[in-house]
Amino acid sequence: MKTTLSFLMVIALTIFVTSSMLGQEKMSRDEWQSEMTTAKARVAELQGQIAKLDSDKTVLMNQSTKLDADIKSCEDALYALIGVTREEAQAFEKELSDMEKRVDDFQKMSDAELTGHRDELERMQTRLKEMLGEKMAKIPRYADRIHVLQDKVAALLQSITKETTYTVGTWARNRDCLWNIAKKKDIYDNAWMWPKIWQSNRDKIRDPDVIKPKWVLKIPAGKELTPEEKTAANRYYRKKASAPSGQ
Amino acid sequence: MPNWTKYATIALFVVALMMVAGCSSSPSDDELRQLQDLQAQVKRLEDQVATKKSENAALEKQNAEKNGTLQQCQSDQEAVKKAMGGK
Repeated sequence: MKTTLSFLMVIALTIFVTSSMLGQEKMSRDEWQSEMTTAKARVAELQGQIAKLDSDKTVLMNQSTKLDADIKSCEDALYALIGVTREEAQAFEKELSDMEKRVDDFQKMSDAELTGHRDELERMQTRLKEMLGEKMAKIPRYADRIHVLQDKVAALLQSITKETTYTVGTWARNRDCLWNIAKKKDIYDNAWMWPKIWQSNRDKIRDPDVIKPKWVLKIPAGKELTPEEKTAANRYYRKKASAPSGQ
Repeated sequence: MPNWTKYATIALFVVALMMVAGCSSSPSDDELRQLQDLQAQVKRLEDQVATKKSENAALEKQNAEKNGTLQQCQSDQEAVKKAMGGK
């Protein structure tokens, strides 16, 4: 009898636990109600946000239209002021942009590759000079861009031109040292190229920190240091670093 | 206690347990579908909000660029006028 009772109790408990677990997996009405309320509130909130975003978009579109009109009117006035048509202005802008891109490409080339483009660079130099005389160059922004391009083209041509010379001036008057000479636009336009001048003038320059007025220095072509020049520069920097301060 | 009383007590106990465990009310299938639809709507609306926010951000950026162009043009105009007046 006791065994039967225990058996029945176990069955009863099993039914209770299983039912409870099943009940937990299934959503209760209260939970459903709560989730419905939350979802409805979220829908209302999101619809509000969408309405606000749509209204913001309308404002932004109107601003955009007004800005387009203002820009056109400003540009028309500017072009009228210098006496060019919109088409001429656009053609000038395009020509200049194309040249800028081309010069960027040239700057990535090695000296050997660049030598094959000497004619193009020279034509570019001539054209830039002409462009400076055109009406569009009355706009300072364009004149500045042309000047920048002219400097870049000159430096590129310099890098493939045969060796030139430079006569050293005085420190007091010209601030001439190898660093400053290499930095000059018509030399290398890059101060870090100073070891090239040093290594090409080893007959005169024993110590690169000392150059004398009236020396005529050879300025070899190129826009990059050779491995030998880099080694010499590194040797110099190491020596400088290891020297006691004040020397 | 006679045997039948014991069995009756146990049966009663079992029935009571089953009622406690299984009688709590739950939503109908239709109501569950309603909730699912609402949750899907929330998802759709959230996506719409995200899209609209990015569209507006792009427009703001575009307008800022246009504003820059306009200011540049105005300063060009002033510079040209100044240069012409100076001649």
